[in-house]
Formats: sequence, structure tokens, C-alpha cells
Amino acid sequence: MPSGPTPDGPARASTADVVARTVRDESPRILATLARVTGDVGLAQDAVQDAVVRALETWPRDGVPDQPRAWLTTVARRCAIDRIRRERLRDGKEAEAVWLQDPDPTPPPESVVRDDLLRLVFSCCHPALAAETQVALSLRTLCGLSTAEVARAMLVPEATAAKRLTRARQKIAAARIPYRVPSDAELPGRLVGVLATVYLVFNEGYAPSGGEDVVRQDLVDEALRLGRLLHELMPDEPGVLGLLALMLLQNSRRDARTAADGSAVRLADQDRTRWDRQAVAEALELIADGLRRSPTRPDPYVVQAAIAACHAIAPSYQDTDWDAVVTWYDVLLTVTDSPAARLGRASAVAERDGPVAGLAEVDAIAGLEHHAWWHGARAELLHRLGRDDEARDERDVAARLGINAAALSSLDASLAAAPR
Amino acid sequence: MPQYAALIWSTDLEPSDPAFAAMMPRYESFGHEAEAVIRGGAALYNNATATVVRVTGGKGGDVVTTDGPYAETKEGLTGFYLVEAADLDEAIAWAAKIPAAWDGSGCVEVRPVIDFG
Repeated sequence: MPSGPTPDGPARASTADVVARTVRDESPRILATLARVTGDVGLAQDAVQDAVVRALETWPRDGVPDQPRAWLTTVARRCAIDRIRRERLRDGKEAEAVWLQDPDPTPPPESVVRDDLLRLVFSCCHPALAAETQVALSLRTLCGLSTAEVARAMLVPEATAAKRLTRARQKIAAARIPYRVPSDAELPGRLVGVLATVYLVFNEGYAPSGGEDVVRQDLVDEALRLGRLLHELMPDEPGVLGLLALMLLQNSRRDARTAADGSAVRLADQDRTRWDRQAVAEALELIADGLRRSPTRPDPYVVQAAIAACHAIAPSYQDTDWDAVVTWYDVLLTVTDSPAARLGRASAVAERDGPVAGLAEVDAIAGLEHHAWWHGARAELLHRLGRDDEARDERDVAARLGINAAALSSLDASLAAAPR
Repeated sequence: MPQYAALIWSTDLEPSDPAFAAMMPRYESFGHEAEAVIRGGAALYNNATATVVRVTGGKGGDVVTTDGPYAETKEGLTGFYLVEAADLDEAIAWAAKIPAAWDGSGCVEVRPVIDFG
């Protein structure tokens, strides 16, 4: 070992970082190809894991190879063959893994890898798997997280994550979940499921349902990584463009969303100079592209991104083009009608036409009486109308129904100034 | 070719029920359509006819029978098909054509069959 930096020194750490990053970037691609060659996602996962371990052992010592993907591919293939041999021997069967010994072990061209990755995406997000299983599999195979990292991401013990992944692999193998890109006829329906899984990961990071953190940036980053992967694989799909744009826009506000003391800052009060302008610009291009590709019936993610974009380009909360926001909500309601979208529209109407009109819209939404957000919106609007006693009652209902801490503290701040 | 069991969980009808007769043509139609992939199956008498058997004390021990524990339920396992399919997507496509999956009487559970060969 050369003398110089200590094992914990900065030079050593940065080499380790390069190794870790290279391994993570490359492993989903290698896994995707190996899964096709072996026809077994579980085996491919184990073999890639073996290769990753070997890389993490040797690269910091010997340096990162010139062609890391070729190196990892070759080692992973050998590990796969070893595993098949061991299994055959254990089962008393002949060792015949020759079919894997491809005469050309160089990594396949990019177009083949692309198709392999697409297959992997649709296998991981197959509708026969539970949503949480799709998330676990996607994080493990498409983001290249270890089982321990998947467990941390999903806030479950490592044993639980391991069991979930093992069961998923068993189901994929036993029930023969196909390793295939859906046909053109099936694709729209299946893509909806893939996008929902990625957005689930994002939302769990952006507004965690559990744990202490206001934001879990690690999960947000994984979702963005998945969104970018989908964009690379399916650059023509409006839903993919819209989802990536939506995530970029929401995440562009990350530095302004929390105050120094860790509490949440409302959209109206955020320091807009701290928004990530580069991310906004990228998102605007994606939205334009998404709208061009679905002129007659815009994709719901593209429309949601357009709504987020109205905020992103507004110089201040007061100067937001609320008419445009309301119009985009009208478009959203034509492609996907939901109480949440109606509530969003009502809030925008309140900003455009005043609290009386807004409250009438909120009250007209049926079926949200058990949702904290509906009561929170009513509390806010009643307060603006000076009906503070009613506002306090609604605030209490919202609190009882579990409105998040950030929204509650902002409500309380408004109401504290109000006379009793 | 892999096989899948398509287990039919649906409204538990007695064969004498007029609804049972009304249901038959739908299943006959499915039977014709899926003839090439159906490898077996059966329609079952209703839950009220079920007998649950347990033996206490190991093989050859006391045979304990109970009148099916499902007496009051409206839905039950009313039949199954054994179908051949290349993968789960193909099996799901066939299952979606079984009347119970679409006629409002229940649902179909798809399970891969273990190949001991």
C-alpha cells in the first residue's frame, strides 16, 4: 500500500466515493442484462452483489478499471455461473452452465442495455406485486441500494426489507412474472403503475408519512434518479416527462421549504431567491415537450407540473397568475377528477376571487369531511373572513384528523393573532 | 408449459338456485374459448356441503370432522380451472375472461402450480 494519506484521509475517502458512485451507476445496467441472459432476476441480483463486493474490495486498492462496466459485467457473469454450479451440485444435478459462457463477454451495446433496463423497470413495477414491494424492488434493483439501505429508506427493520425482497423474488420466479416490455397496447396502463411507484418514493421523501424528518432528501434523490432513468429509457412518453418535471419543480424549493430551526415554511412565505432556477428551467422544457406530445388530452402529471410551474415562475406569492392556476386545475379535472384536485382548485379560486368564493368552492366538494386537509383549508378561509371562532373549531378538527405539523403550526400562527 | 390454478371465489349458489342456471352459459362460453389451454378443473357444490377433516394424534389417529366453518358466508371457493400459460401475464389474461372476474359475482385467484417433474 502506498504511503501518504491515512486510510481516513480525504484522498482515500474520495477514491472510495468514486468507487461507490461508479458501482451504483453501473450495477442496475449490469443487473438488467444479466437478468435477461440468465432469465432469473434473483440470481442476477445475487451475482451483481457478488461483483459489487469484489469491486469495493479491489478498486480502492488497485484503482477503478478503465472500463468499469466491462469489469463488473465479466465478474458478475462468473459469479452467476459459480452460483448456478453450486446450486446444481447441491440439487445433485450436472454442472452445465455452459450456455452462460458467452463467447463475447464484453458488455452489450447501449441500445440492448436500454431494452434490458426497460424490461427490469416493468418487472419491478408489475401490478401483481404490492405497491410497497414494487418500491422495495425498484430501490434495490433500479437504484442499486443495498438491502440495508432499502430498509432505511422504507423505515423498516433490515430483516423486514430482506423478507419483502425475498418474497418478491420468489413470486417473480414461481409465478413467472415476465421479464418483458409490455406490448404497445398494454404499455399505457402499465406505465401508469411505474410512474405511481416512482411518485410514491418521491412523496415519501418530500412529505414523509413517518419518522421525524420534514424532508427525507435521500428518498427524493432516489425518486429523481428513477425519474431520470425513465426519461432516458422512454423519452417520448408524456407521463414520464410530466412526472420528472413535477418532481424537479417540487424539489427546486427544497432550500426554501424549511427554516433554520427545521420547521416548514409555507409557499407564500418562502424566499424565492433560494429556489433552484436550473431545476425550474429544466422542468419548463420537459413540460413544453410533454404538452407537445399530448396536445389533445394532456397527461395528468404534465398538468400537475404546469400548476407547479405557475408558482415556480411567479415573482412572489401575491403576483402569482392565479387565473392560470385555476385554468390548469380545470384541465386537470377533465383528465383526472379527484377531491384533492378540487381542493387545489378551490384554494386557487380563493386567491383569485377572494375567500368568500374560495370557501363556497371548498364547501361544494363532497366526500372530504374526514380529510384533515379539507378542514385545514376551511379553517384558513374562515380566518380570512374574520370568522375566527369557526376557524378555531375547524383547526381542532383538522388537528384531530392528523393534519401535518407544518400546516398546523402555520394555522396556529394565523389564529394566534386573531382576537378571541 | 407452466400451469396455473385459477381459483374462483364467488357467490355461493346451490345448483337449484335459478341464478346458478343463469350463470352456466357464461362458463360454457369461457370453456369453449379457453379449450386449448384448460388442463382441468371442477365446479364445486356450495359451502353448506363442505366437511372439514382433521386427524388428531398423527396418521391413523382419531378422525375429527366439522361441518364446514363457512356456513354463513356468502362467497366461497366455488370452482377452479387448471390452465396452461407461458407466464403470469398470460395466466392473468385468461383469468380475466372467467365470468366470476367480470360478472360481479366475485373474483379469481391465480396461483402457479408446482412442477415436481
